[in-house]
Amino acid sequence: MPLLKVKNSIKNMETNINFSINRLMQICRQSWIINRKLIGITVSGFSGLVFLILILSQIKSYTNWSNNNYMLAFTILFFSTGIIYSSLSFPAFRMKEKTISYLLLPAATSEKFTFEVVTRIVIFLVVMPFLFWLMANIEGIVMHYYKPEFLSYKFSLITGLQSFTREGNVKGWTTLAIIQGVLFVFITSFTGASYFSKSPLVKTLFSVSIIMGSYALFTYLLIKGLKLEEYTITSDRLLFIHNEKDAMIFSSLAITTVNICLLAISYFRLKEREV
Amino acid sequence: MIQITDLNFVYPGQEVLFSNLSVHLEAGSITGLLGKNGAGKTSLLKLFSGLLHPQSGEISVMEHNPKKRQVSFLADVFLVPEEFTFPPISIRDYLKAYAPFYPKFDTGLMKETLAEFDLQYEHNLSRLSHGQKKKFLIAFALSTRCRLLVLDEPTNGLDIPSKLLFRKILAGSLEDNQLVIISTHQVKDVENLIDKILILDNGKVIFQKSIQEISQRVRFITGSSQDVENAIYSEAVPGGYRLMLPNNNEETEVDIELLFNAITKGKKLD
Repeated sequence: MPLLKVKNSIKNMETNINFSINRLMQICRQSWIINRKLIGITVSGFSGLVFLILILSQIKSYTNWSNNNYMLAFTILFFSTGIIYSSLSFPAFRMKEKTISYLLLPAATSEKFTFEVVTRIVIFLVVMPFLFWLMANIEGIVMHYYKPEFLSYKFSLITGLQSFTREGNVKGWTTLAIIQGVLFVFITSFTGASYFSKSPLVKTLFSVSIIMGSYALFTYLLIKGLKLEEYTITSDRLLFIHNEKDAMIFSSLAITTVNICLLAISYFRLKEREV
Repeated sequence: MIQITDLNFVYPGQEVLFSNLSVHLEAGSITGLLGKNGAGKTSLLKLFSGLLHPQSGEISVMEHNPKKRQVSFLADVFLVPEEFTFPPISIRDYLKAYAPFYPKFDTGLMKETLAEFDLQYEHNLSRLSHGQKKKFLIAFALSTRCRLLVLDEPTNGLDIPSKLLFRKILAGSLEDNQLVIISTHQVKDVENLIDKILILDNGKVIFQKSIQEISQRVRFITGSSQDVENAIYSEAVPGGYRLMLPNNNEETEVDIELLFNAITKGKKLD
Protein backbone atom coordinates (compact mmCIF):
# COMPACT_ATOMS: atom_id res chain seq x y z
CA MET A 1 0.00 0.00 0.00
CA PRO A 2 1.93 3.09 -1.22
CA LEU A 3 0.12 5.50 1.10
CA LEU A 4 1.45 3.68 4.14
CA LYS A 5 4.96 4.39 2.92
CA VAL A 6 4.07 8.06 2.84
CA LYS A 7 2.87 7.82 6.43
CA ASN A 8 6.14 6.24 7.57
CA SER A 9 8.31 8.89 6.00
CA ILE A 10 6.28 11.62 7.71
CA LYS A 11 7.48 10.43 11.09
CA ASN A 12 11.02 11.44 10.22
CA MET A 13 10.11 15.02 9.39
CA GLU A 14 11.05 17.45 12.10
CA THR A 15 9.57 20.89 11.88
CA ASN A 16 11.51 22.60 14.65
CA ILE A 17 14.96 22.66 13.03
CA ASN A 18 16.26 24.98 10.34
CA PHE A 19 18.01 22.46 8.14
CA SER A 20 16.93 18.86 7.87
CA ILE A 21 18.58 16.34 5.57
CA ASN A 22 15.33 14.34 5.64
CA ARG A 23 13.38 17.27 4.28
CA LEU A 24 16.08 18.03 1.69
CA MET A 25 15.85 14.41 0.55
CA GLN A 26 12.06 14.72 0.45
CA ILE A 27 12.40 17.80 -1.80
CA CYS A 28 14.66 15.70 -4.06
CA ARG A 29 12.12 12.86 -4.06
CA GLN A 30 9.33 15.32 -4.80
CA SER A 31 11.25 16.82 -7.70
CA TRP A 32 12.05 13.36 -9.06
CA ILE A 33 8.39 12.25 -8.89
CA ILE A 34 7.24 15.39 -10.69
CA ASN A 35 10.06 15.80 -13.20
CA ARG A 36 11.37 12.30 -13.92
CA LYS A 37 9.92 12.22 -17.46
CA LEU A 38 11.27 15.68 -18.23
CA ILE A 39 14.70 14.74 -16.84
CA GLY A 40 14.76 11.61 -19.02
CA ILE A 41 13.77 13.54 -22.12
CA THR A 42 16.30 16.32 -21.39
CA VAL A 43 19.23 13.94 -20.82
CA SER A 44 18.42 11.89 -23.94
CA GLY A 45 17.79 15.02 -26.01
CA PHE A 46 21.02 16.63 -24.87
CA SER A 47 23.04 13.47 -25.55
CA GLY A 48 21.53 13.16 -29.02
CA LEU A 49 22.19 16.82 -29.72
CA VAL A 50 25.85 16.54 -28.68
CA PHE A 51 26.28 13.47 -30.90
CA LEU A 52 24.66 15.20 -33.87
CA ILE A 53 26.64 18.43 -33.46
CA LEU A 54 29.95 16.54 -33.20
CA ILE A 55 29.33 14.17 -36.10
CA LEU A 56 27.96 16.89 -38.41
CA SER A 57 30.89 19.19 -37.57
CA GLN A 58 33.40 16.46 -38.36
CA ILE A 59 31.63 15.44 -41.55
CA LYS A 60 31.51 19.08 -42.67
CA SER A 61 35.16 19.82 -41.91
CA TYR A 62 36.21 16.33 -43.11
CA THR A 63 39.18 16.32 -40.79
CA ASN A 64 40.27 14.02 -38.02
CA TRP A 65 39.47 15.95 -34.84
CA SER A 66 42.16 16.33 -32.23
CA ASN A 67 41.50 16.50 -28.50
CA ASN A 68 41.68 20.30 -28.80
CA ASN A 69 38.85 20.34 -31.36
CA TYR A 70 36.69 18.34 -28.97
CA MET A 71 37.66 20.66 -26.12
CA LEU A 72 36.58 23.68 -28.14
CA ALA A 73 33.20 22.06 -28.84
CA PHE A 74 32.95 21.07 -25.17
CA THR A 75 33.71 24.62 -23.96
CA ILE A 76 31.11 26.19 -26.25
CA LEU A 77 28.42 23.66 -25.30
CA PHE A 78 29.35 23.70 -21.63
CA PHE A 79 28.88 27.45 -21.26
CA SER A 80 25.91 27.86 -23.58
CA THR A 81 23.85 25.02 -22.06
CA GLY A 82 25.05 25.82 -18.53
CA ILE A 83 23.96 29.45 -18.74
CA ILE A 84 20.56 28.45 -20.13
CA TYR A 85 20.09 25.68 -17.56
CA SER A 86 21.05 27.79 -14.55
CA SER A 87 18.83 30.62 -15.80
CA LEU A 88 15.94 28.17 -15.41
CA SER A 89 16.54 27.92 -11.64
CA PHE A 90 13.61 28.56 -9.31
CA PRO A 91 11.11 27.48 -11.98
CA ALA A 92 8.22 28.13 -9.58
CA PHE A 93 8.91 31.86 -9.76
CA ARG A 94 7.80 32.00 -13.39
CA MET A 95 4.12 31.63 -12.36
CA LYS A 96 2.24 33.23 -9.47
CA GLU A 97 0.28 30.05 -8.67
CA LYS A 98 3.45 27.96 -8.55
CA THR A 99 5.21 30.57 -6.43
CA ILE A 100 2.45 30.33 -3.80
CA SER A 101 2.70 26.55 -3.69
CA TYR A 102 6.52 26.65 -3.58
CA LEU A 103 6.80 29.26 -0.82
CA LEU A 104 4.20 27.53 1.34
CA LEU A 105 5.81 24.11 1.02
CA PRO A 106 6.82 23.17 4.58
CA ALA A 107 10.58 23.21 4.08
CA ALA A 108 13.16 25.73 5.25
CA THR A 109 14.49 28.39 2.89
CA SER A 110 17.97 26.93 3.35
CA GLU A 111 16.72 23.52 2.15
CA LYS A 112 14.93 24.93 -0.88
CA PHE A 113 18.00 27.03 -1.70
CA THR A 114 20.43 24.10 -1.30
CA PHE A 115 18.25 21.99 -3.57
CA GLU A 116 18.32 24.66 -6.29
CA VAL A 117 22.10 25.16 -6.05
CA VAL A 118 22.74 21.41 -6.17
CA THR A 119 20.36 20.64 -9.04
CA ARG A 120 21.09 23.72 -11.14
CA ILE A 121 24.84 24.10 -10.69
CA VAL A 122 26.54 21.15 -8.95
CA ILE A 123 24.73 18.39 -10.86
CA PHE A 124 25.26 20.22 -14.14
CA LEU A 125 29.00 20.52 -13.46
CA VAL A 126 29.19 16.77 -12.94
CA VAL A 127 26.68 15.38 -15.41
CA MET A 128 27.28 17.59 -18.45
CA PRO A 129 31.04 16.86 -18.84
CA PHE A 130 30.33 13.15 -18.33
CA LEU A 131 27.61 13.14 -20.99
CA PHE A 132 29.82 15.08 -23.40
CA TRP A 133 32.74 12.74 -22.78
CA LEU A 134 30.51 9.71 -23.37
CA MET A 135 28.90 11.05 -26.53
CA ALA A 136 32.23 12.37 -27.91
CA ASN A 137 33.78 8.91 -27.57
CA ILE A 138 30.76 7.16 -29.08
CA GLU A 139 30.83 9.65 -31.94
CA GLY A 140 34.61 9.07 -32.32
CA ILE A 141 34.08 5.32 -32.56
CA VAL A 142 31.31 5.77 -35.12
CA MET A 143 33.51 8.08 -37.20
CA HIS A 144 36.43 5.68 -36.96
CA TYR A 145 34.18 2.81 -38.10
CA TYR A 146 33.16 4.64 -41.26
CA LYS A 147 36.48 6.47 -41.74
CA PRO A 148 39.23 4.11 -40.50
CA GLU A 149 41.83 6.68 -41.53
CA PHE A 150 40.58 8.91 -38.67
CA LEU A 151 42.85 7.44 -36.02
CA SER A 152 42.55 10.08 -33.30
CA TYR A 153 39.00 9.33 -32.19
CA LYS A 154 39.34 9.07 -28.43
CA PHE A 155 38.48 12.13 -26.38
CA SER A 156 40.10 12.69 -22.99
CA LEU A 157 38.44 15.42 -20.95
CA ILE A 158 41.15 15.33 -18.27
CA THR A 159 43.90 15.97 -20.85
CA GLY A 160 41.83 18.81 -22.25
CA LEU A 161 41.27 20.39 -18.86
CA GLN A 162 44.97 20.14 -17.99
CA SER A 163 45.76 22.48 -20.88
CA PHE A 164 43.98 25.30 -19.01
CA THR A 165 46.10 25.07 -15.88
CA ARG A 166 49.54 26.55 -15.28
CA GLU A 167 52.62 24.93 -13.86
CA GLY A 168 54.79 26.26 -11.04
CA ASN A 169 53.84 28.17 -7.92
CA VAL A 170 50.70 29.73 -9.48
CA LYS A 171 49.13 26.37 -10.36
CA GLY A 172 46.81 26.18 -7.35
CA TRP A 173 45.66 29.79 -7.57
CA THR A 174 45.19 29.59 -11.34
CA THR A 175 43.04 26.49 -10.92
CA LEU A 176 40.99 28.23 -8.22
CA ALA A 177 40.59 31.33 -10.40
CA ILE A 178 39.41 29.19 -13.35
CA ILE A 179 36.96 27.23 -11.19
CA GLN A 180 35.60 30.42 -9.62
CA GLY A 181 35.43 32.07 -13.05
CA VAL A 182 33.34 29.20 -14.40
CA LEU A 183 31.17 29.24 -11.30
CA PHE A 184 30.75 33.00 -11.64
CA VAL A 185 29.10 32.56 -15.04
CA PHE A 186 26.60 30.01 -13.71
CA ILE A 187 26.02 31.69 -10.36
CA THR A 188 25.28 35.02 -12.09
CA SER A 189 22.69 33.29 -14.24
CA PHE A 190 21.32 31.49 -11.15
CA THR A 191 21.03 34.73 -9.18
CA GLY A 192 19.29 36.38 -12.13
CA ALA A 193 16.73 33.56 -12.10
CA SER A 194 16.03 34.19 -8.42
CA TYR A 195 15.72 37.92 -8.99
CA PHE A 196 13.71 38.19 -12.20
CA SER A 197 10.40 36.36 -12.59
CA LYS A 198 9.94 36.84 -16.32
CA SER A 199 12.66 36.32 -18.98
CA PRO A 200 15.44 35.97 -16.38
CA LEU A 201 18.23 35.17 -18.85
CA VAL A 202 17.64 38.22 -21.05
CA LYS A 203 17.28 40.50 -18.04
CA THR A 204 20.38 39.04 -16.38
CA LEU A 205 22.49 39.51 -19.52
CA PHE A 206 21.19 43.06 -19.84
CA SER A 207 21.92 43.85 -16.17
CA VAL A 208 25.42 42.36 -16.32
CA SER A 209 26.15 44.35 -19.50
CA ILE A 210 24.97 47.55 -17.82
CA ILE A 211 27.04 46.90 -14.66
CA MET A 212 30.20 45.98 -16.60
CA GLY A 213 29.74 48.82 -19.09
CA SER A 214 29.25 51.32 -16.27
CA TYR A 215 32.34 49.99 -14.49
CA ALA A 216 34.43 50.30 -17.67
CA LEU A 217 33.13 53.83 -18.30
CA PHE A 218 33.78 54.83 -14.67
CA THR A 219 37.35 53.48 -14.85
CA TYR A 220 37.96 55.25 -18.15
CA LEU A 221 36.67 58.57 -16.79
CA LEU A 222 38.69 58.12 -13.60
CA ILE A 223 41.88 57.53 -15.54
CA LYS A 224 41.13 60.47 -17.82
CA GLY A 225 40.01 62.74 -14.96
CA LEU A 226 43.06 62.03 -12.82
CA LYS A 227 45.29 61.95 -15.90
CA LEU A 228 46.65 58.61 -14.77
CA GLU A 229 47.86 57.80 -18.27
CA GLU A 230 50.61 60.39 -17.78
CA TYR A 231 52.16 58.16 -15.13
CA THR A 232 53.95 54.98 -15.99
CA ILE A 233 52.54 52.33 -13.74
CA THR A 234 54.42 49.08 -13.93
CA SER A 235 52.93 45.85 -12.77
CA ASP A 236 55.21 45.75 -9.73
CA ARG A 237 53.81 49.09 -8.50
CA LEU A 238 50.13 48.34 -8.79
CA LEU A 239 48.93 48.42 -5.18
CA PHE A 240 49.90 45.16 -3.50
CA ILE A 241 50.22 43.18 -6.72
CA HIS A 242 53.88 42.64 -7.39
CA ASN A 243 53.96 39.51 -9.51
CA GLU A 244 51.89 36.93 -11.36
CA LYS A 245 51.18 34.94 -8.21
CA ASP A 246 49.80 38.02 -6.41
CA ALA A 247 47.63 38.74 -9.43
CA MET A 248 46.25 35.20 -9.44
CA ILE A 249 45.63 35.28 -5.68
CA PHE A 250 43.82 38.60 -6.01
CA SER A 251 41.73 37.43 -8.99
CA SER A 252 40.72 34.11 -7.47
CA LEU A 253 39.80 35.62 -4.12
CA ALA A 254 37.93 38.49 -5.74
CA ILE A 255 35.86 36.15 -7.90
CA THR A 256 35.22 33.86 -4.93
CA THR A 257 33.96 36.84 -2.92
CA VAL A 258 31.71 37.94 -5.78
CA ASN A 259 30.32 34.39 -6.08
CA ILE A 260 29.55 34.22 -2.36
CA CYS A 261 27.83 37.62 -2.54
CA LEU A 262 25.75 36.55 -5.54
CA LEU A 263 24.67 33.36 -3.76
CA ALA A 264 23.77 35.41 -0.68
CA ILE A 265 21.67 37.74 -2.84
CA SER A 266 19.73 34.81 -4.30
CA TYR A 267 19.26 33.26 -0.85
CA PHE A 268 17.82 36.45 0.63
CA ARG A 269 15.75 37.01 -2.48
CA LEU A 270 14.15 33.60 -1.89
CA LYS A 271 13.75 34.27 1.84
CA GLU A 272 12.05 37.63 1.33
CA ARG A 273 10.02 36.65 -1.69
CA GLU A 274 6.38 37.84 -1.71
CA VAL A 275 3.49 36.96 -3.97
CA MET B 1 -4.80 31.75 17.06
CA ILE B 2 -4.53 34.83 14.82
CA GLN B 3 -3.75 38.19 16.33
CA ILE B 4 -3.24 41.18 14.05
CA THR B 5 -2.46 44.52 15.65
CA ASP B 6 -2.23 47.90 13.91
CA LEU B 7 -1.40 46.39 10.57
CA ASN B 8 -0.44 48.73 7.76
CA PHE B 9 -0.07 47.41 4.27
CA VAL B 10 0.23 49.00 0.86
CA TYR B 11 1.14 47.56 -2.53
CA PRO B 12 3.98 49.54 -4.14
CA GLY B 13 2.65 52.47 -6.11
CA GLN B 14 -0.94 51.96 -4.96
CA GLU B 15 -3.27 53.41 -2.35
CA VAL B 16 -3.05 52.16 1.23
CA LEU B 17 -4.94 48.87 1.54
CA PHE B 18 -4.89 48.30 5.30
CA SER B 19 -4.41 51.08 7.81
CA ASN B 20 -4.17 50.19 11.52
CA LEU B 21 -6.09 46.95 10.95
CA SER B 22 -6.62 44.76 14.00
CA VAL B 23 -8.17 41.29 13.90
CA HIS B 24 -8.43 38.54 16.49
CA LEU B 25 -9.53 35.02 15.57
CA GLU B 26 -9.67 31.95 17.78
CA ALA B 27 -9.42 28.27 16.87
CA GLY B 28 -12.50 26.08 16.65
CA SER B 29 -14.51 28.00 14.10
CA ILE B 30 -15.19 28.39 10.43
CA THR B 31 -14.93 32.08 9.75
CA GLY B 32 -16.33 33.64 6.64
CA LEU B 33 -14.22 36.52 5.37
CA LEU B 34 -16.59 38.56 3.28
CA GLY B 35 -16.08 41.69 1.26
CA LYS B 36 -16.66 43.31 -2.08
CA ASN B 37 -14.18 42.87 -4.91
CA GLY B 38 -10.96 44.70 -4.09
CA ALA B 39 -11.76 44.93 -0.36
CA GLY B 40 -8.48 43.20 0.45
CA LYS B 41 -9.70 39.67 1.28
CA THR B 42 -7.03 37.82 -0.68
CA SER B 43 -4.31 40.20 0.50
CA LEU B 44 -5.32 39.57 4.12
CA LEU B 45 -5.18 35.80 3.54
CA LYS B 46 -1.71 36.20 2.04
CA LEU B 47 -0.62 38.23 5.05
CA PHE B 48 -1.92 35.44 7.34
CA SER B 49 0.09 32.87 5.44
CA GLY B 50 3.32 34.85 5.07
CA LEU B 51 3.08 35.41 1.33
CA LEU B 52 2.95 39.17 1.83
CA HIS B 53 4.86 41.21 4.37
CA PRO B 54 3.27 44.21 6.08
CA GLN B 55 5.00 47.58 6.18
CA SER B 56 4.26 47.86 9.92
CA GLY B 57 2.14 46.28 12.62
CA GLU B 58 2.21 42.84 14.16
CA ILE B 59 0.86 39.56 12.88
CA SER B 60 0.94 36.51 15.09
CA VAL B 61 -0.42 33.25 13.71
CA MET B 62 -0.19 30.27 16.06
CA GLU B 63 2.52 32.23 17.89
CA HIS B 64 4.60 32.53 14.74
CA ASN B 65 5.49 35.52 12.66
CA PRO B 66 4.25 34.42 9.20
CA LYS B 67 6.91 36.56 7.51
CA LYS B 68 9.61 34.17 8.73
CA ARG B 69 7.91 31.19 7.05
CA GLN B 70 9.35 28.77 9.59
CA VAL B 71 8.82 25.09 8.83
CA SER B 72 6.76 24.54 11.99
CA PHE B 73 4.45 27.33 10.79
CA LEU B 74 4.23 26.16 7.18
CA ALA B 75 3.49 22.59 8.30
CA ASP B 76 0.41 23.87 10.13
CA VAL B 77 -1.00 26.24 7.50
CA PHE B 78 -2.64 25.30 4.23
CA LEU B 79 -3.84 27.84 1.70
CA VAL B 80 -6.23 26.87 -1.07
CA PRO B 81 -5.78 29.75 -3.51
CA GLU B 82 -8.40 30.83 -6.00
CA GLU B 83 -6.11 30.03 -8.91
CA PHE B 84 -3.73 27.09 -8.73
CA THR B 85 -1.78 24.70 -10.89
CA PHE B 86 -0.78 21.05 -10.57
CA PRO B 87 2.08 19.06 -12.07
CA PRO B 88 1.06 16.49 -14.71
CA ILE B 89 1.18 13.49 -12.36
CA SER B 90 -1.34 11.10 -10.85
CA ILE B 91 -3.06 11.75 -7.53
CA ARG B 92 -1.08 8.86 -6.05
CA ASP B 93 2.22 10.43 -7.11
CA TYR B 94 1.10 13.84 -5.87
CA LEU B 95 0.44 12.36 -2.44
CA LYS B 96 3.86 10.70 -2.42
CA ALA B 97 5.46 14.00 -3.38
CA TYR B 98 3.63 16.40 -1.08
CA ALA B 99 2.00 14.55 1.84
CA PRO B 100 5.28 13.77 3.68
CA PHE B 101 5.80 17.48 4.28
CA TYR B 102 2.73 17.56 6.53
CA PRO B 103 3.42 15.67 9.78
CA LYS B 104 -0.28 15.23 10.62
CA PHE B 105 -1.36 14.12 7.16
CA ASP B 106 -4.40 11.86 7.46
CA THR B 107 -4.31 9.25 4.66
CA GLY B 108 -7.61 7.75 5.83
CA LEU B 109 -9.40 11.08 5.53
CA MET B 110 -7.80 11.63 2.13
CA LYS B 111 -9.08 8.28 0.92
CA GLU B 112 -12.59 8.96 2.22
CA THR B 113 -12.74 12.48 0.81
CA LEU B 114 -11.45 11.38 -2.59
CA ALA B 115 -14.15 8.72 -2.67
CA GLU B 116 -16.82 11.27 -1.74
CA PHE B 117 -15.61 13.57 -4.50
CA ASP B 118 -15.51 10.65 -6.94
CA LEU B 119 -11.76 10.94 -7.55
CA GLN B 120 -9.35 8.04 -7.89
CA TYR B 121 -5.66 7.66 -7.13
CA GLU B 122 -4.91 6.85 -10.77
CA HIS B 123 -6.44 10.07 -12.09
CA ASN B 124 -3.87 12.34 -13.69
CA LEU B 125 -4.17 15.83 -12.24
CA SER B 126 -3.47 17.57 -15.54
CA ARG B 127 -6.45 15.82 -17.14
CA LEU B 128 -8.99 16.79 -14.48
CA SER B 129 -11.45 19.64 -14.98
CA HIS B 130 -10.98 22.83 -12.96
CA GLY B 131 -13.77 21.79 -10.57
CA GLN B 132 -12.24 18.32 -10.06
CA LYS B 133 -8.84 19.87 -9.42
CA LYS B 134 -10.39 22.17 -6.84
CA LYS B 135 -12.09 19.22 -5.15
CA PHE B 136 -8.77 17.40 -4.99
CA LEU B 137 -7.03 20.44 -3.53
CA ILE B 138 -9.75 20.83 -0.89
CA ALA B 139 -9.47 17.11 -0.04
CA PHE B 140 -5.70 17.45 0.28
CA ALA B 141 -6.03 20.61 2.41
CA LEU B 142 -8.41 18.89 4.84
CA SER B 143 -6.20 15.79 5.04
CA THR B 144 -3.14 17.81 6.05
CA ARG B 145 -4.92 18.41 9.40
CA CYS B 146 -3.27 21.82 9.47
CA ARG B 147 -4.46 23.98 12.34
CA LEU B 148 -5.09 26.89 9.99
CA LEU B 149 -6.90 26.28 6.73
CA VAL B 150 -7.28 29.27 4.47
CA LEU B 151 -9.68 28.83 1.58
CA ASP B 152 -9.88 31.58 -1.02
CA GLU B 153 -13.12 31.37 -3.00
CA PRO B 154 -13.32 27.58 -2.48
CA THR B 155 -16.66 27.13 -4.22
CA ASN B 156 -15.67 28.90 -7.45
CA GLY B 157 -15.76 26.34 -10.22
CA LEU B 158 -17.69 23.73 -8.23
CA ASP B 159 -21.00 22.44 -9.54
CA ILE B 160 -24.09 22.51 -7.29
CA PRO B 161 -23.77 18.92 -5.94
CA SER B 162 -20.08 19.52 -5.28
CA LYS B 163 -20.86 22.70 -3.33
CA LEU B 164 -23.21 20.71 -1.10
CA LEU B 165 -20.60 18.00 -0.72
CA PHE B 166 -17.94 20.59 0.08
CA ARG B 167 -20.07 21.96 2.92
CA LYS B 168 -20.80 18.48 4.25
CA ILE B 169 -17.16 17.31 4.14
CA LEU B 170 -15.77 20.51 5.61
CA ALA B 171 -18.25 20.55 8.47
CA GLY B 172 -17.68 16.87 9.19
CA SER B 173 -13.91 16.66 9.11
CA LEU B 174 -12.76 19.52 11.31
CA GLU B 175 -11.29 19.29 14.77
CA ASP B 176 -11.63 21.73 17.67
CA ASN B 177 -8.08 23.04 17.39
CA GLN B 178 -8.51 24.05 13.75
CA LEU B 179 -9.47 27.41 12.34
CA VAL B 180 -10.87 27.65 8.85
CA ILE B 181 -11.04 30.99 7.10
CA ILE B 182 -13.17 31.05 3.99
CA SER B 183 -12.89 34.10 1.83
CA THR B 184 -15.73 34.45 -0.60
CA HIS B 185 -18.03 36.88 -2.31
CA GLN B 186 -20.52 34.07 -3.01
CA VAL B 187 -22.06 34.26 0.42
CA LYS B 188 -24.89 31.82 -0.36
CA ASP B 189 -22.34 29.05 -0.77
CA VAL B 190 -21.14 29.27 2.80
CA GLU B 191 -24.52 29.61 4.49
CA ASN B 192 -25.10 26.98 7.19
CA LEU B 193 -21.35 26.37 7.24
CA ILE B 194 -19.67 29.35 8.81
CA ASP B 195 -20.08 30.22 12.46
CA LYS B 196 -18.36 33.60 12.41
CA ILE B 197 -18.51 36.46 9.96
CA LEU B 198 -15.83 39.01 9.32
CA ILE B 199 -16.61 41.72 6.79
CA LEU B 200 -13.88 43.79 5.20
CA ASP B 201 -14.58 47.06 3.47
CA ASN B 202 -12.08 49.65 2.26
CA GLY B 203 -9.28 47.96 4.16
CA LYS B 204 -11.13 47.96 7.51
CA VAL B 205 -12.92 45.26 9.46
CA ILE B 206 -16.40 46.75 9.61
CA PHE B 207 -18.11 43.73 11.16
CA GLN B 208 -16.98 40.73 13.19
CA LYS B 209 -19.58 38.61 14.98
CA SER B 210 -20.57 35.01 15.46
CA ILE B 211 -23.72 33.64 13.82
CA GLN B 212 -25.14 33.11 17.31
CA GLU B 213 -24.64 36.78 18.24
CA ILE B 214 -26.23 37.85 14.97
CA SER B 215 -29.29 35.68 15.40
CA GLN B 216 -29.73 36.95 18.94
CA ARG B 217 -29.86 40.54 17.70
CA VAL B 218 -31.69 40.34 14.41
CA ARG B 219 -34.07 38.11 12.53
CA PHE B 220 -34.56 37.60 8.81
CA ILE B 221 -37.98 37.18 7.22
CA THR B 222 -39.75 37.64 3.92
CA GLY B 223 -42.55 40.19 4.38
CA SER B 224 -44.70 42.75 2.73
CA SER B 225 -44.17 46.47 2.07
CA GLN B 226 -45.90 47.26 5.38
CA ASP B 227 -43.03 45.64 7.28
CA VAL B 228 -40.36 47.67 5.52
CA GLU B 229 -40.54 50.69 7.81
CA ASN B 230 -39.78 48.53 10.87
CA ALA B 231 -36.83 46.85 9.18
CA ILE B 232 -33.18 47.68 9.80
CA TYR B 233 -32.62 46.80 6.18
CA SER B 234 -34.82 45.50 3.36
CA GLU B 235 -34.48 44.36 -0.22
CA ALA B 236 -37.21 43.77 -2.77
CA VAL B 237 -37.45 40.17 -3.87
CA PRO B 238 -40.01 38.36 -6.05
CA GLY B 239 -43.17 38.11 -3.95
CA GLY B 240 -42.27 40.72 -1.34
CA TYR B 241 -39.32 41.92 0.65
CA ARG B 242 -36.42 40.26 2.44
CA LEU B 243 -36.20 42.00 5.76
CA MET B 244 -33.66 42.27 8.53
CA LEU B 245 -35.55 43.18 11.69
CA PRO B 246 -34.60 43.64 15.34
CA ASN B 247 -35.00 40.34 17.16
CA ASN B 248 -38.06 39.80 19.32
CA ASN B 249 -36.93 36.47 20.79
CA GLU B 250 -37.66 34.70 17.55
CA GLU B 251 -34.62 32.92 16.16
CA THR B 252 -34.36 32.68 12.38
CA GLU B 253 -31.69 31.45 10.01
CA VAL B 254 -29.14 34.16 9.24
CA ASP B 255 -29.45 35.46 5.70
CA ILE B 256 -25.77 36.19 5.15
CA GLU B 257 -26.31 37.91 1.83
CA LEU B 258 -28.85 40.29 3.27
CA LEU B 259 -26.70 40.88 6.34
CA PHE B 260 -23.66 41.57 4.14
CA ASN B 261 -25.58 44.07 2.01
CA ALA B 262 -26.94 45.77 5.14
CA ILE B 263 -23.54 46.07 6.80
CA THR B 264 -21.75 47.32 3.68
CA LYS B 265 -24.49 49.95 3.29
CA GLY B 266 -23.74 51.22 6.77
CA LYS B 267 -26.55 49.59 8.77
CA LYS B 268 -25.91 48.61 12.40
CA LEU B 269 -27.28 45.63 14.26
CA ASP B 270 -27.73 47.46 17.56
